[in-house]
Amino acid sequence: MEFAFTAEEEAFREEVRRFLAGHPLERYPLDGMDAGYGSGAHSRAFMAELGRQGWLAMTWPRVFGGRERSLFFKLVLFEELARVNAPFGPLAGCWQTADAIIDYGTERLRSELLPLIARGEATFWQGYSEPGAGSDLLSLTTAARRDGDHWVIRGHKIWSSHAGIATHGLVFTRTSREARRSRGFSMFVVPNGTPGMQIRPIRSLTGEVYHYEVFLDEVRVPADVMLGREGEGFQALLNGLDSDRFWGRYYKAPALERVLHRLVDYANTTGPEGAPLARDAGVRRRLAGMATEIAALRMLFYRAACLLREGAPVTYETAVAKVMADELGQKLARLGMDLLGPWGPLRQGSRNAPLDGRIAHDYLTSLGHTIAGGTAEILRTTVAVRGLGLPPEPRAGRG
Amino acid sequence: MDFRPSASQQLLVATARDFLRTACPPEVSQRLALDPRGFDEALWRRMAELGWQGLLVPSDFGGSDGSLLDVVLLVEEMGRAGLPGPFVTSAVVVTSLIVAAGTDQQQKRLLPALAAGERIATLAVVEDRGAFDGRPPALHCAVPGRLTGRKLFVKDAHVADDLVVAARDDLLLLPADRPGITRLPLDTLSGEKLFEVTFDAVPVHPEDRLGGPAASAAALARATTAGALARVAEMVGAAQRVFELAVEHARTRVQGGRPIGGYQAVQHACADLVRDVDGARGVLYLAAWKASEGEPAVVDTAIAKAYAGEACLAVARRAHQIFGAIGYCEEHPLHLFHKRIQAAHLDFGDAGAHLETVARAIGLA
Repeated sequence: MEFAFTAEEEAFREEVRRFLAGHPLERYPLDGMDAGYGSGAHSRAFMAELGRQGWLAMTWPRVFGGRERSLFFKLVLFEELARVNAPFGPLAGCWQTADAIIDYGTERLRSELLPLIARGEATFWQGYSEPGAGSDLLSLTTAARRDGDHWVIRGHKIWSSHAGIATHGLVFTRTSREARRSRGFSMFVVPNGTPGMQIRPIRSLTGEVYHYEVFLDEVRVPADVMLGREGEGFQALLNGLDSDRFWGRYYKAPALERVLHRLVDYANTTGPEGAPLARDAGVRRRLAGMATEIAALRMLFYRAACLLREGAPVTYETAVAKVMADELGQKLARLGMDLLGPWGPLRQGSRNAPLDGRIAHDYLTSLGHTIAGGTAEILRTTVAVRGLGLPPEPRAGRG
Repeated sequence: MDFRPSASQQLLVATARDFLRTACPPEVSQRLALDPRGFDEALWRRMAELGWQGLLVPSDFGGSDGSLLDVVLLVEEMGRAGLPGPFVTSAVVVTSLIVAAGTDQQQKRLLPALAAGERIATLAVVEDRGAFDGRPPALHCAVPGRLTGRKLFVKDAHVADDLVVAARDDLLLLPADRPGITRLPLDTLSGEKLFEVTFDAVPVHPEDRLGGPAASAAALARATTAGALARVAEMVGAAQRVFELAVEHARTRVQGGRPIGGYQAVQHACADLVRDVDGARGVLYLAAWKASEGEPAVVDTAIAKAYAGEACLAVARRAHQIFGAIGYCEEHPLHLFHKRIQAAHLDFGDAGAHLETVARAIGLA
């Protein structure tokens, strides 16, 4: 066993820290809401800066312009960016899309998109959910029909994060009707602005826009923007989701640690009638307990990372880690609200808002985390059925 | 970053699992828990033949120079089997103390015998405050002089040949049968053999000191870390076993025409067992690895003990719900593992004590 990062990985950590010290985050305008996952807001300028540093493509094969660094370099970058709340919201999606394109993308996707991703100029929205297809993704109705060298897509996608400010959608559609429910799906990479695509914002409970819905009315795309093999999109999606869950949450532990430290500072300096909250035995225990849970969460992610590096299956490990990350985030936000008392609900920008209104924002956004990317219920079922081999519940209306 | 045990660690674990499956089935744990003496000498000797009691002993004294991480992996298997007995106290804690602080003469006299399983030693630290928090003991004895007072929750004192007693200025290494020492059994939930040990004008000589004052405090702190981590390993092993039993039950117990593990309410309870066991094991290995590498591990140990205590107890309680009525029976093994976790959770500092260490480490004033 070995629980340290390598000397090369630590040297990279120093490189990232030097970069962050020399590049104040205020320089990078924000384009989209921070959804509280730990990856900060959406900032095209910051993504472009990461591109200039050569970090977006650093793990890719050399033939695609990469430097073939190990997956752990990504972990280091995530940890350091999350530690300072940098605005790298789109990064996980870019990396995941790039990996899929490298693994099974067409020549067109490779030659057109990889350079854009490497420069931080392409970001992606996921067109998976539909109004009638949430946890039951396979009941989706968006469909594409073949027309010569093209496909024509019709349908309606929803809950697509940052769709209005991204450059491309990953649109999951039915491409044929087959006997097996899970076959006949395909994925397309569709540029925003393609005729027939209409993107409408959905205002969230924070008052800001994070999600969009996308209407696809006879959207015509060339056949070689299909990502993966025709009809096998669902299996590819499922395999991808195992690692999406990892990459979409890895930065949560360092981000929670950052919030915890702010609460510790607050408890040390604030309290009724001059006695700091930190003197309260209950407060001490809750904050310390949170630190132990964050430590355990980090180890779940490190273990999953080792499995991903070895190419071993992560059928349940990433699901366990995601559920714990999201529920722990909710718990920390509740604890924060408890400590802040009547000041807790004061929004960012309000008079007297403590900790820049961060806790109120986290409290609201964290409500969505146990829903997005697989609900906690779906994922616990995944752990039980795929991980522990328990029998699936019979599905209503089937056999 | 690598979670895989080394080849020799894998061999140690495989041997332990294999041996304990036949040597310590749940019936043995149950019998020993209910028996007032509760110690199986034959089993203890066979463990010594496998080299277990000598794992932390230097090879010069008949041991195998193992690391704390090796011990943790072995004790995890003991926890998984529900093996009772003085292994952690004698072969981990007191052995570490003597290795770290003993005089040449003490090491020569005791280490080979401890490694061979011919002697058993235990540690008397806790006093009336009930806390294991590193604060100096109230028990005081001028050396040479006479020792009067008492210690509580001393594990396996009845089979111990030697007692290490934490006094205010010294660690004292006393033969357990020295006149004036009385061992009074406490009847515990877990069946672990705990004692109140009283000292009535027990004569103490200079050669009874285990190391000098400064050395002994540092050695006690390190041995306490080793003890805490071994107890975490026991909890993780026991929770692993509870998890395996519960999932097996969910897979095979049929109600309403299908296994209860086919209902989401039970599936989700089982899924949470995975998080708790894997999370606890993660923080355990990290702390044990750091300690084995000679890095500061006090805070990581506190994190591991506090987190694993809560998580493994949650595993046991949730398993009771999954098992239903059968888990309430004495003949069912679930309660043995649950009670063991409960006992280990309190030993070498409960969650409250360790959380206070963590609270200071994260900067709470």
